[in-house]
Amino acid sequence: MTDDIFFAGIADLNNRLRKHEFSTVELTRAFADRLEKLGPRYNALALPLTQVAVKRAKQVDDELKRERFRGPLQGIPFGAKDLLAFAGHPTTWGAKPYAGQVFDETATVLQKLDKTGSVLIGKLAMVELAGGGGYRTAAASLFGPGLNPWDRGYWSGGSSSGSGSAVAAGLVPFALGSETSGSIVTPAAFCGITGLRPTYGLVSRHGAMALSWTMDKIGPMCRSAEDCGLVLQAIAGSDTKDPASADKSFYYTPQYSRQLSDLKVGYAPSDLGWAEAGARPAFEAAMRVVRETGVQLMEVALPDFPYGVLADVIIGAEEASIFETLIASNGVNDLADESQAAGLRANLNIPATEYLKAMRIRSLVKEKFRELFADVDVLVAPARYGVAPKVTDPLDGPDLVPLPIPATPGMRRLIQAGNLAGIPALSLPCGFVGSLPVGLQLAGPAFSENTLLALGREFQNRTDWHKRRPPVS
Amino acid sequence: MKITRRQLAEAVAGSAAVALAAAQTPAPATRDFNAESRESHRANSDVLKKFDLPMSIEPAFAFKA
Repeated sequence: MTDDIFFAGIADLNNRLRKHEFSTVELTRAFADRLEKLGPRYNALALPLTQVAVKRAKQVDDELKRERFRGPLQGIPFGAKDLLAFAGHPTTWGAKPYAGQVFDETATVLQKLDKTGSVLIGKLAMVELAGGGGYRTAAASLFGPGLNPWDRGYWSGGSSSGSGSAVAAGLVPFALGSETSGSIVTPAAFCGITGLRPTYGLVSRHGAMALSWTMDKIGPMCRSAEDCGLVLQAIAGSDTKDPASADKSFYYTPQYSRQLSDLKVGYAPSDLGWAEAGARPAFEAAMRVVRETGVQLMEVALPDFPYGVLADVIIGAEEASIFETLIASNGVNDLADESQAAGLRANLNIPATEYLKAMRIRSLVKEKFRELFADVDVLVAPARYGVAPKVTDPLDGPDLVPLPIPATPGMRRLIQAGNLAGIPALSLPCGFVGSLPVGLQLAGPAFSENTLLALGREFQNRTDWHKRRPPVS
Repeated sequence: MKITRRQLAEAVAGSAAVALAAAQTPAPATRDFNAESRESHRANSDVLKKFDLPMSIEPAFAFKA
């Protein structure tokens, strides 16, 4: 097998498995060896599962020999963020206080992927407690700082750090990540991969660490929009074990997607002004490509709310309740980032009235987004407004404010706003600044994943940013 | 005084000059994260207080039977 295998798409790999160009065992061993060898270079590997994976791969090969085809994910290796329980194996949530934690039950999403015949080859590193309490350094993880495959001096993003860097470096064909407020979109943008944050409730969270019951989502991190669609189809759907389940399925149906010329896409011109100067040419070029797809571009403004405050209060209150025992036992003192421990302790004191107030304002946010999506079908904005920060840079430091300061806030708070509204978003690689990638974000109304994927797929038909490979050795 | 990204973004809407000045102020050598968290909560409370909501606006969650 050549290195091309490690950067191939899901459908291509599955097609070659069916043609018996190689076996599932061979493919699994190749990826698992690579993950074990190179994963530590990026602090991306939480737990190798090679033995279990090879055993499962043999079963899949038996099925393929009998021509029992399960679909495009059959025989495809993958990795999962270490907040997803895999029965009988450690699930650390990226945090020292939970380093020895083992669950009896496997997360619903991993069970669903197992049924498709895909093969879990490893758990992937993450920011401790998915960033609960608020982290200020890339090193806030049991596994060390997530290192970016494009340049290991830079962060891979968080909190799905290992998922981002493992996909980017070709250590897994796809990975599962999770997002409460940016944890899929950010590492996808920083690592130059395609990440999909699904609509809240579309994908079961059963068996996943909770950070915020009302905001947590699990989603795919892949090479392409196409692959995100295939993985989302496998993991979405009703689950009685998840109280927030929307009882909806998802079928990836690009053949039935709306004509792009019918789509109204909202953007904020001031976004370019907010972007880091070096990233502006990439975003300008990306917007030209979006325009060339034939969509109707319209200027819009995000509804005016204090999104950061709302996210802080809601996530803060919920995470303090979730980790109350850890806080009370002073286990938080074992976290790598001192500011997270302080944040979690302080969040115990968020008054119920403030939490409810934030949740009531959130109702207004949802309403305003419904109104906005009466006028447009999709929002487009930079996923992040610049490249990944250096690994050694503080994450809570002052922004470099662009000059002149744009007159309007643009979509800078789209990640927080979108998470509060529970709407889906797709992050697409859209260029480079030096050696580091930047990403474009598409967001749409609840359950509009097929629309986002259709536009994302067309963007990727017209560009090759998602095919670029970092200098992995 | 050190300003966070969020504080900075919100300050920009009101006073760009203040935000810029704050951003350029060097951080203290040692940090009291507990005090910073408490201060952040106070700032959040102040923002929420500005919203006067009618009782018909319910929280954005619903329990299923």
